[in-house]
Amino acid sequence: MAETPTLLKIGLAQIDGRLGDVERNTGRHLDWIARAREAGVDLLVFPELSLTGYRLLHLTPRVALPLGSPVLARLAEAAGPMRVVVGFVEEGERGILHNSAVLLAEGRPAHVHRKLYLPTYGIFQEERFFGAGRKLETFRLPWGTAGLLICEDLWHPELARRLAVAGTKLLIVVSAAPGRIGAGALPESHESWQTLTRATALLNTCWVAYCNRVGWEEGSFYPGGSHVLRPGGEIAGSAPLLEEHLLVTEIDLRDSDRLRWRLPLLDDERFDIEGPAA
Amino acid sequence: MIRREQVRGRLELNAPLAEAVLTSFIRDAVETSGTQGVVVGLSGGVDSSLSAALAARALGPERVHGFLLPYRTSSPESEQDARAVAEHLGLPHRDRHLPHGGRLLPMEPDAPAERRGNKMARERMTILFDQAKKLDALVLGTSNKTEILLGYSTVFGDNASSLNPLGDLYKCQIWQLSRHLGLPGQVIDKAPSADLWPGQTDEGELGFSYETADEVLYLLFDLGLRPEEVAARGYEERVVRRIVSLEQRFRFKRRLMLIARLSGSAVNLDQEIPRD
Repeated sequence: MAETPTLLKIGLAQIDGRLGDVERNTGRHLDWIARAREAGVDLLVFPELSLTGYRLLHLTPRVALPLGSPVLARLAEAAGPMRVVVGFVEEGERGILHNSAVLLAEGRPAHVHRKLYLPTYGIFQEERFFGAGRKLETFRLPWGTAGLLICEDLWHPELARRLAVAGTKLLIVVSAAPGRIGAGALPESHESWQTLTRATALLNTCWVAYCNRVGWEEGSFYPGGSHVLRPGGEIAGSAPLLEEHLLVTEIDLRDSDRLRWRLPLLDDERFDIEGPAA
Repeated sequence: MIRREQVRGRLELNAPLAEAVLTSFIRDAVETSGTQGVVVGLSGGVDSSLSAALAARALGPERVHGFLLPYRTSSPESEQDARAVAEHLGLPHRDRHLPHGGRLLPMEPDAPAERRGNKMARERMTILFDQAKKLDALVLGTSNKTEILLGYSTVFGDNASSLNPLGDLYKCQIWQLSRHLGLPGQVIDKAPSADLWPGQTDEGELGFSYETADEVLYLLFDLGLRPEEVAARGYEERVVRRIVSLEQRFRFKRRLMLIARLSGSAVNLDQEIPRD
C-alpha cells in the first residue's frame, strides 16, 4: 500500500457552455485543459453534459457522440498525463442515447458512467431523451479507487454507498443542477446540494468532489458552487457562485482509509437485514 | 401545513443574491444574442423602473435605452416619474409620444377603454421593437409573475419582450428588490396602474390587493394547494375564486402561438427545440 502515491491535485472546471454547440464547447474544454495542466492538476473534472449543454430536448440526437469519437480522442490527447472527466451525450450500442461522463486517461476513454437515475419531473425531461444506464462500477486511478455519479444519481444514496463499500475513496459527482433562490444568503438549491454531499462524505467516509456548472439555459440558471469535501464532510475547497472558476484542491486519498479505521461504518455495513417490502 | 401568517415570509427574497442572479441573466442574454444592449419602455411605474435598474447594473447605463411613450390620456406624473428614473439611473432616454400627436393610429372613435388600452400597449411594443432593431438591442420585458398568472396584460403588447428578468417575481418581491436598488421613493410607493385612463389602478380594476393576490397565487401555484384549502387559511372565498378564474381564463396569454398539429413533427409540440 505504502508505495502507491495517494496525494493528488484535483481540479474542478466550473464552466458555462453553449447549448448544442459541441465544436465551440470542445474548444473551451481545450482552453481549460491547458489552464489546468499549467496549474499542475492531476485530475480535471468538467460538469454534467459539459460538451453539449444540458437542456437539449430534441437537439439531443444531433450532438450525440460514440465513445470512439475523435472529439474525445482530441481532448484525451490534449490532457497528456492529466486525467480528465468530461460530460457528453453518448450514442450507445443499439442507438440508445445516454447522459454519460467519461474518464479520459493516457490518451483514451478509460471508464464511462451512464447516468442511472434520469429526472423527469418539474423542469427535467431526461427520460424522454435518454436511456438509463444499467451499471455501477468503481475504477482505478493512480492514487486509489474512485467512483463517478451524475447529478440525480446522488439523490439515491444507495449508489454512493455501494461504491464506497466496493472501495471508493474518491467519489466524483458531476452536475448541471439548476438554481433556486429565496430569503437565504445562498441559493436554496446549493444548500440542498451541500447537505447531500456532506452527508455522503460523512456516511461513506470518502472524499467527495462535486462539480456543478454555471451559466444560463432557457431562462434557468446554474449557480456553480462546486466543492471538495474531506472524508467526514469538512470543506477542503469551494468555488464561488455564479462565475466560471477552476478550483484546485490538493487531496490525499489515504485520508479516507485513516477515517475508516476510526469510523468503520463501511466495515459494519449489512445488506442482509430483512425488512419491510417496498 | 403552512399558515396564513407564514406566507409573507416565504415570499421574501435575499435581495443582493436576486440582484446578482438577475443581472447575470441580462448580461448572458445580451452576450449570447450578440446585440449591443436593451431597450425598455419607461412608464414611471415600479416594474419598468426595476427592469431598467437591473439592466443598468448588468450592462452599464449607456447600453440601456429608455423610452418614454406617453399617450395624451397618460398622467403627467407618470411621465415625470419615468424621467426621474431615467435620470436617476443615468440612462440615455428619449420621448416618443404615441403616433400623430397623441392620437392612436386608426382606431374607431367609439372603441371602449379596454380596446384603447390594448391598442396603446401594442403601439408601444411596435415602437420598442423597431427601436431595438435600429439600436441592435433586445426588448427588455417588465411583466411580473403576479400579472402573468392573472393574465393582467395585453397579448403582443406589454407581455411581448425578448427577455424578462421580472417574470418569476411576485409584486411584493418587485417592491422589495426596488427598495434594495434604491429606486426613487415615489415610484415604489404609488398605487400600481396601467395608466391607460385617468384614475385607473390595478387593484381597483382587479378587485383585490396585490398583497392578497401574491399570497393566494403562491399557495395555489407554487405550493399546489386547492382553492378550498387556500380559503380555509382565512382568505375571502370570493377573492380566491376570482383569482382562480382569472388564472384559468388567461392561460392562453402565457403560451403564445397555438399551432394546429398535422405532421407529427410540429414546432413546439413534437419538436421542442431550445431557443438558446
